Amino acid sequence: MLHSSSIQKQRRTLRGMIHVQGLSKTYETPAGAFPALRNVDLEIAPGEFVAIVGKSGSGKSTLLNMVGGIDRPSSGSLRVGGRSIQGLTHSELASWRGRTVGFVFQFFQLLPTLTVAENVMLPMDFCGTRPGSQRRRHALTLLDRVGVADQADKLPSALSGGQQQRVAIARALANDPPVILADEPTGNLDSETSIAIFQLFGELSGEGKTLLVVTHDREAAASVSRTVTIVDGCVA
Amino acid sequence: MIAPRWRKVFRDIGDTPLRTALAVMAMAAGAFGVTMILTSYSILKRELKTTYSDTRPASAILVLDGQGVSDALVDAVRHMPGVRDAEARPVIGGRLFIGKDQWVPLILYVVRDFRDIRLDRFTPDAGAWPPGDGEVLIERSSLSVARAAIGDRVIVRTSDHVERPLRIAGTVHAAGLAPGWMEHAVAGFVSANHLPLSASSADQIRLMVTGDTLDERHIRDVANRVARSIGNVTRIDVPTPGRHPHAAQMDTFLYLLGAFGALTFALSAVLVATMIHALLTEQLRQVAVMKTLGASTMKIASLYLGQVAILAAAAIAIGVPLGIAAGQAYARFAASMLNATITDAMPALWIVVAEVVAGIAIPLLVALGPVSHASRISIHEAFSNDVGGKPFGTRRFDRWLARIQWLPRPLMLSLRTTFHRRGRLLLTVATLAAGGAAFIAAMNVSAAWTRTLDADGRARRFDVQAVFSRPYPAAQVMQALASVPDVAHAECWTEAGAMLGEANVSLNVSLIGPDVDSKLLALPLIAGRWLRPGDDAVAVINQSVLSLDPTLRLGGDIPIHVNAHVARLRIVGIVKELAPHATVYMPPRTILRVTGKPPGLAHSVRIVTRQLDVAGQVAASKAIEQVLESAGISVAGIQALSDSRQSFSDHLVIIKSALIFAALLVVLVGGLGLTSTLTLNVFERTREIGILSAIGATPRTIARDVVFEGMVMAVLSWCAALLASIPITFPLDAATGQMFIRSALDFYMSPAAAAVWLLLVLILAALSSFYPARRSARLAVREAIAYE
Repeated sequence: MLHSSSIQKQRRTLRGMIHVQGLSKTYETPAGAFPALRNVDLEIAPGEFVAIVGKSGSGKSTLLNMVGGIDRPSSGSLRVGGRSIQGLTHSELASWRGRTVGFVFQFFQLLPTLTVAENVMLPMDFCGTRPGSQRRRHALTLLDRVGVADQADKLPSALSGGQQQRVAIARALANDPPVILADEPTGNLDSETSIAIFQLFGELSGEGKTLLVVTHDREAAASVSRTVTIVDGCVA
Repeated sequence: MIAPRWRKVFRDIGDTPLRTALAVMAMAAGAFGVTMILTSYSILKRELKTTYSDTRPASAILVLDGQGVSDALVDAVRHMPGVRDAEARPVIGGRLFIGKDQWVPLILYVVRDFRDIRLDRFTPDAGAWPPGDGEVLIERSSLSVARAAIGDRVIVRTSDHVERPLRIAGTVHAAGLAPGWMEHAVAGFVSANHLPLSASSADQIRLMVTGDTLDERHIRDVANRVARSIGNVTRIDVPTPGRHPHAAQMDTFLYLLGAFGALTFALSAVLVATMIHALLTEQLRQVAVMKTLGASTMKIASLYLGQVAILAAAAIAIGVPLGIAAGQAYARFAASMLNATITDAMPALWIVVAEVVAGIAIPLLVALGPVSHASRISIHEAFSNDVGGKPFGTRRFDRWLARIQWLPRPLMLSLRTTFHRRGRLLLTVATLAAGGAAFIAAMNVSAAWTRTLDADGRARRFDVQAVFSRPYPAAQVMQALASVPDVAHAECWTEAGAMLGEANVSLNVSLIGPDVDSKLLALPLIAGRWLRPGDDAVAVINQSVLSLDPTLRLGGDIPIHVNAHVARLRIVGIVKELAPHATVYMPPRTILRVTGKPPGLAHSVRIVTRQLDVAGQVAASKAIEQVLESAGISVAGIQALSDSRQSFSDHLVIIKSALIFAALLVVLVGGLGLTSTLTLNVFERTREIGILSAIGATPRTIARDVVFEGMVMAVLSWCAALLASIPITFPLDAATGQMFIRSALDFYMSPAAAAVWLLLVLILAALSSFYPARRSARLAVREAIAYE
């Protein structure tokens, strides 16, 4: 469960939850240097629900990866949750990521050999965020929150796509991170389920989470508070 | 409560039973191989040493030229300074009748008191003890050579041509003697009280020195002192201290075990690396997911190292006990070849401990690299499935490969895929090549031995050799042989026993004087030249003489000590022959002169018969013996060469058994490695196979292409194995040859070994790619593409 006092605290202390300035990323490919992002500036306030839209290959996912510390920028500055993440080591980054950012992927990426509940417990396990005895209870609470508590002891392969994505969201919430990043979270779901997932995101935003969602789904994206369009690596 | 991340480890292991089984089996095969070799090595090393030292081997044997040794003399020797113990044990040479005009060589040891055997001990094995009047005890390993059983009556002919019937009262085990079946000779023990000593017996005093019994110089000093004080000692034999007569074979054997143990070990390490590489490649996406969930590099590394440790523990639990059992069985088998008994078949504790520690530590160690690489990989890389470096086409080799257009497109794809995943290719090929190289090397060495034996056979161009009891005029011998229709060609040779060096050194050598125009001996020269007609006071030595005294040089002198005189001969040649025995070849007249015999005498005859087969040659040798005997020429021994070659070949059994054993072990470990590596390769490609199916490839096409890929890897590995076998074969040839015939074997690459391995690797590659490929091809496209 989210504690409103902590959200208030976060809102007081942080001007922008995500602060991107002059961010560029260039990939070296056999065909030459490819600029995926060029001089991007972006400011996202705590509790905002932002959709990043753009054509395939425009640099949306690259931006998301930078924010989540999955990839490192070539230049520019990047602060998430008030902290600059550029100087962090791999290990520090992993721990920071586990506590600060929750990821949701297009293909869910649940670990196939762990049950639904265990998948949700895994981030707590890695970051040591809760006493071992409380982890399962917390996982069940989160699963209940996303509406799949009854699937807790099943393996992911037994779940539908929509259910798996709900589990993935529960997992993203496991360490109560202030930021949720989602890369095409509905790209693999039918439209009805997609709308339900975006509704869930909306609720999370309402509870104070900052959401940054890369999407193609214009209909679903209607529920967001702001849309950022990326064209050829630049914010349009 | 187990943390979810560890539950993942257990489930990953349990959810892929086939892969887990393959990985465990491959590791277990490695553990089995290494444990088996270490176990038999440790048991044999320990047991052979104690078996031999328990016989209280004599430090020196004094051969006396006299009419018997009195008990008082033996007692006096026992009390001489430096002597710990002494015993008289005359030796009678002779032959034993085995039926159908056939005789086998016999050595009878005459024992004074069976209740007081002090040196070169032997123990009762079966039947009666001690032997009574007219009875003999046979060394248990030569009972089969005698073709007799306990209770049988056998005819014995001693070298003075007296024939006696003896009853075999029982068998004994004389661990200090070489096994009779290998020597093709019978060893027997008789009581001095019941067998009248004759002129044919060589009186011997065996003694054991006080102080360092392993110090040869010390032993010689004591023996020389004793010899001087008792007089009429014609020869002093000092067996290499602490060495069983077949120690060279044991050394070769143990060396081979050790060498192949190390190779198997290396092979299993490579195998483990391959397994772990395959495992991690599959898990990369999950590694990335765990990283996004906050797992640090250390945590991820610990998960996979944990998984490796669990698999390794399972492999040890299977491989080590089986390896110990097999090692014990093999040690027993090897011991029987050396006439030894294993009394304690427990492997040394350190073997078990080391195996368990190494069995866990080695996989962890080889896993460290791939695990650290996988756990450090960036999430971005792992998700984009862009692992393994550069995309296809960025390397020159890729572009070259891409220009190959004449192959069918699916095969082209297979070929490019094979070479694209370079890390995987390298590991697979390395695993298969390590196994192949060891296999080919083992077969190479085995073939080199066979070739050495054959080459020696070609160098000796006679079928039968007869040695006389004393020298006879060559003309008399030739005249007798002229009447035998089977004799095509005969040469009388001169022979003598001598000692190398000056008076106080006793290194025995044989002097052989082939006919000056000999057509029957063409030994390969290492240096210098062979004897020529007209030569005198020159010598050609074999490599064993050289190893007795490494200071000997071509063109230098060799001192030969015969009948208390020292003759110095110039060395004109060095030959290589298949005999560990030191032989000096000299012109016959030189031998006769240094031994003080008149010219024209011969000690032996070499004969070429008109018979081509072994049976015919054996029959001819009987006819020859009869003719010689009736001409008044006393034959001490006659042997068809095929028989002596068989004896030598039997001496090689243990070496060849070690090599074959090593080769089989390598096939087992390598074959398992090959199967599991290729199978895992195909598993890795399930998603790719799904895509191929999606664009219209039939299961048949897919299976064919995957099998083709397996074949490409197999052939590549075969080439690598051929190359890698060379540096392995060389030291094995050198070491085994040096230990056994005191000269390195000629290097030989066995085409048969190469062909067998190619066939094996192709068959295994086809089988181990076909089944997983078919399975993958039959998966629904959606399943295959979603395959994790």
